Amino acid sequence: MSVELKLSRNSRVYRPSEPLEGKIIIKSQSSISHHGVRITVNGSVNLQVHGGSAGIIESFYGVVKPIPIVKKTVDVKSSGKIGSGTTEIPFSLILRQQGDESLERRYETFHGADISIQYLVTVDIIRGYMHKSLSATMEFIVETDRADLPERPISPEMVIFYITQDTQRHPLLPELKSGGFRLLRVESVLLEEKIVTETSLIQTTQIADGDVCRNFTLPIHVVLPRLLTCPTILAGPFSIEFKVSIVISFQSELSKLHLKTDPRTPRLWLAMETLPLELVRTSIFAFLQFVCVFD
Amino acid sequence: MEFRPRNYRAEQESHELSRVATDSHPLCYPSLSHTEVQSTSQVHVVDDRNNDFFDPLRGTASNAEVSGKNLQDVDDIPVPELSSEAGNQLPNKESTPFRRLLMQRFPVSKMISISSMSEIIVKGGKKFEKSLTSKHLEELDDPQKFADEDKKVITRQEYVSRIHDLKDEIRHAWIAGDRVTSLKLSIKVARLLTDTSVLHFYPTLFVLATDIMDMLGNMVWERIKRKAEYSEDGNLLYFLPENFEASDICSDAKETCNNWFCKIGAVQELLPRIYLELAILPCWRFLLDQPVDSLQRLVRMTRGLADPVAFVYCHLYMAHCAQKLPSRDIGYLVTCVNDIRVLLTRIVSTDESAHGNTTENKRLLVSLMEPAIEYIMKCIFKDLSQRQVMNVLAELGLRRDKQLFGRFSCVSILVHHLLKELPTEVVCSNAVEIFHLIECNNDCSFNQHMNYRLLGFRLYESRFQVDVVNVVVDKAIQVISQYDSLDEYLKVVDAYMELVLQHLMDKHLNTILEGISERAWNKGINEDELASLQSILLKLLSFFKCLEDVFALDHFRKILDVMYGNSRIDVNMNILDLATRNGPICNPTTIQLVFEISQALYDTLDFMNVTDGASQAASLITRFVIMVDYGAEMECHLAFLVDCRGAFSSINNLKETLVHSSNCLAFKALKDTKRHMSFFKSCITFSEVTIPSIFALSRQLNLYIETAEVALVGGLVSHSDGLIDSSVSCLQSLDKTDGSRTQIDVDGIVSSIRKLCGLLVMVPGNPDLGVTYIPNTLLSLINSQPWMTPRKRSQSFCSIILLLATLSQDKLPYHADNVEILDNAIIYFGDASYGNDLVSLSKFVLQNLLSAIQQETSQAARGVMALEACNCIASSFVLNHEILPICLTLIETAKSCLAARDKYLQSTINFFDRQLPTSPVALPSCS
Repeated sequence: MSVELKLSRNSRVYRPSEPLEGKIIIKSQSSISHHGVRITVNGSVNLQVHGGSAGIIESFYGVVKPIPIVKKTVDVKSSGKIGSGTTEIPFSLILRQQGDESLERRYETFHGADISIQYLVTVDIIRGYMHKSLSATMEFIVETDRADLPERPISPEMVIFYITQDTQRHPLLPELKSGGFRLLRVESVLLEEKIVTETSLIQTTQIADGDVCRNFTLPIHVVLPRLLTCPTILAGPFSIEFKVSIVISFQSELSKLHLKTDPRTPRLWLAMETLPLELVRTSIFAFLQFVCVFD
Repeated sequence: MEFRPRNYRAEQESHELSRVATDSHPLCYPSLSHTEVQSTSQVHVVDDRNNDFFDPLRGTASNAEVSGKNLQDVDDIPVPELSSEAGNQLPNKESTPFRRLLMQRFPVSKMISISSMSEIIVKGGKKFEKSLTSKHLEELDDPQKFADEDKKVITRQEYVSRIHDLKDEIRHAWIAGDRVTSLKLSIKVARLLTDTSVLHFYPTLFVLATDIMDMLGNMVWERIKRKAEYSEDGNLLYFLPENFEASDICSDAKETCNNWFCKIGAVQELLPRIYLELAILPCWRFLLDQPVDSLQRLVRMTRGLADPVAFVYCHLYMAHCAQKLPSRDIGYLVTCVNDIRVLLTRIVSTDESAHGNTTENKRLLVSLMEPAIEYIMKCIFKDLSQRQVMNVLAELGLRRDKQLFGRFSCVSILVHHLLKELPTEVVCSNAVEIFHLIECNNDCSFNQHMNYRLLGFRLYESRFQVDVVNVVVDKAIQVISQYDSLDEYLKVVDAYMELVLQHLMDKHLNTILEGISERAWNKGINEDELASLQSILLKLLSFFKCLEDVFALDHFRKILDVMYGNSRIDVNMNILDLATRNGPICNPTTIQLVFEISQALYDTLDFMNVTDGASQAASLITRFVIMVDYGAEMECHLAFLVDCRGAFSSINNLKETLVHSSNCLAFKALKDTKRHMSFFKSCITFSEVTIPSIFALSRQLNLYIETAEVALVGGLVSHSDGLIDSSVSCLQSLDKTDGSRTQIDVDGIVSSIRKLCGLLVMVPGNPDLGVTYIPNTLLSLINSQPWMTPRKRSQSFCSIILLLATLSQDKLPYHADNVEILDNAIIYFGDASYGNDLVSLSKFVLQNLLSAIQQETSQAARGVMALEACNCIASSFVLNHEILPICLTLIETAKSCLAARDKYLQSTINFFDRQLPTSPVALPSCS
């Protein structure tokens, strides 16, 4: 006896205004009588605090109470019998109904270190007291409605900055070794009137390998990883923000002696500049475009 | 037995065909199509020549000229010798010529083996690899880990086979549905290209790795295409046309495609990320209608690769992948070239002392980068209109304010490949400007003189206004005159030689030759220089029509003297060829020079062993001897022949030629006046003395017969007799000397015997030995030779019978062209014993003939032999009671052996009938 959920899209990506469609597949050798088949959609923000910047006591508390976003239940079938063999029951439910405010906050699916925003769909086949009820759960991904997207991309903000020996507080070495672009995630959780913030590295993208020609304009083309990023959220109990840092390393014998060090620690052979980054969903492709000129 | 009396004149007249004058040549085109050919297309003629064999008799003179010129046009276009820089064709779509190019230029075969490599190669082992998957995952996140690891040693073969294994692994993983593993392994393969320390191996590595990238790209393309065309359960939903648009693609397929780009975009390192995106570049079409735009971004991303070799090869792969896109855009390639220029400028300008950046290292680097530069340039200039070319040049910064080139700073290797690809018209109309461009770009990436050389070749490709050529050639000569090195001097001169020759710049030609001889005499000449010099001299020789003009050039002989080895041989052969191309050589000085050249050639080649070169040289020398003509100075000519015999003693064919020539000379003397009688004798003596030194006896035989005839015509009867004796003894010794029977050309010898019989008609019989002495000797000789087959024997016997029958006539059919020689008909007129001798000998020969026929085992051959004999007998003898039965028997033999319808049999019977004065023999009807 097994129950399975299958969604209409392989990608499992749905927008709040779209119906979540799929089918329930029940395989059984004998017929099952039940008190109803029910589909439940549950969306919530799960918060937890790891060690890091949180105190020992806080981390001991572990999980903070999740914040619900949406919870919806639909009866697909009233009580009856399901025959033996494979049975498919289609279902469809709209996540956001007219006037329903619960999804107005437009949280997209996000899997972070401390914060995760997750949407689950569950099927329950309710059976009598004598039998365990059958159920299956599956995660689906929510992205903001296209209708809610800004008409035009928000005009990019131009940030010009220089990396010099003054900004780095140490002289810059003459020969470049590598130039990289780091995408960082800053998750903050309100924990008993105290904000616990953790910054973690999502993705590193190398943009220069070796001692490149000076005066070349190098594009920084970054494809944002899905699930690991989402539009910047500044909510009351939690916030998800992003940062980028340009990291330039220089050829130096010293670097070989310190292979396993925290990349954020300033070093003689490293130059770094970190900028806040606001992520906004615009269209299906999201690229970060920067240019970098070594001089 | 009685000989049949013959009236040769009457017979000739009765058998002569009537002659009719004709207006048209039988092999000519019919007049209609002929005009058609001339009026419509010249191509037609060319085609005709190509498809069919060319008949020189076909078509009129004017027509032949047209086609000849045409062919030249087709063949001559761009054939400058760019030996090392041999170009390759651009692929239409997905062919891989650059791969072949690279593999050829940097062959893998060498076993040089030291290189530092990533773990994926060193750890090898298929199974081992799989168990390490988890480790590799870590590796993906931490590329630093292996970057500085210790160097390991592996042979190239191992490296290559490891990559092949990886390719299989990727394919198998894909087939098994494990696409993530496929991608991960592909990333590793791409990462190998980061390591340029393998240097000479890098091109091979590149070819192997990009092959894998292409494979992955195709698999991804196919997968997404399938998603777009088929539903999940395999039903065809929609057939994608060749020129589909992004809107034709269903969201599921788009999602998958997007996923791929996301995955690849997440690759941390720059180089693998670029390579992988290039591999799936065509997949942008599923998402965007203008996928070309990504190329501009990719070009700029590539700037982040600091290693020059990795940098240009990445561009090479980009040019390769971009060809899979439907729209052709070259904007990104122009950016490539500009970037490469910046990079190269950096390389060539770095301080030599720093980082061991010696010129040597720089050159090695540039030589590795060159194929990529070459390919990109080719891609840019392929099928461009003139206007587009101008735009490209402007983009490259080579055109400012409507002025092309000028004092623009570039890198010489880029100038080289640009010049190579520019359309001919652009080169020609801007020749002077290009010259300046080359002039002001002299750096270690490419030798400046090679650019001057290329310009020369490019200019030669077009035929254009003389004034520009003059300016450019003037400048070029000026520049090269400053070159101290012979090699550089020759290389440049080689390119301009044709221009100088074509535009008849005699002054420059002299300057050039003087320049060469000065430099060559000062410093000697090495192998490379020799090759260039050879090319120059060959151009010179092929330009001049007449050898005298070449010899008249100052310095030519001096230059010739510095040459040695195979080049010398080649040039000498060409001189000989030129010398013998235009009819007789009469000038004694020329003859002397060519003789010396022939001698030099003879001394360097080994004529004892037959090689191609030697046999070609031998035939050229022989031809030269034939072409020599001293005119009235016949003594000189004979002396020349004597010299040749001494000088070229190893060339066998030549001796034959010498005998022919001296016989020819003897005849010429004879025709002149009687005064030359002693000279005539000298010629005959020369021939007599020369013949025995000829190796092949059958050749000797023929030459003896030829010389005997000449001697006879000159009235030297005793010489002639002696020569005939020699020929007979030659025949006798054939058996003794030539060990292997099969080698003897029996047919040739039989025809020589026949020729000898023909000659004997003219020769006065020797009263001492008897008139039948020679035929008698021949008879016994033929009988005694074991290699004579019955067939050949019967043929020879027939000739002897015919000879004897002819000698019996009162008036012979022909006689020596010399009134002093009396023929046998006059000498033995009315001599009964003479007649008897002939009859008795012919009886004997007849018996031999008949028994030879009996000995023949093959039935068909016996039939033919019988008919031959019958014909011979019927025309030689009166058909009396003695002869008639013999003939009838022979016809019966033939009938029993051949089919009744046999034409030879029927015509023989007819002939035989006509010979019968009275009652015809009872013969079968010839229906």
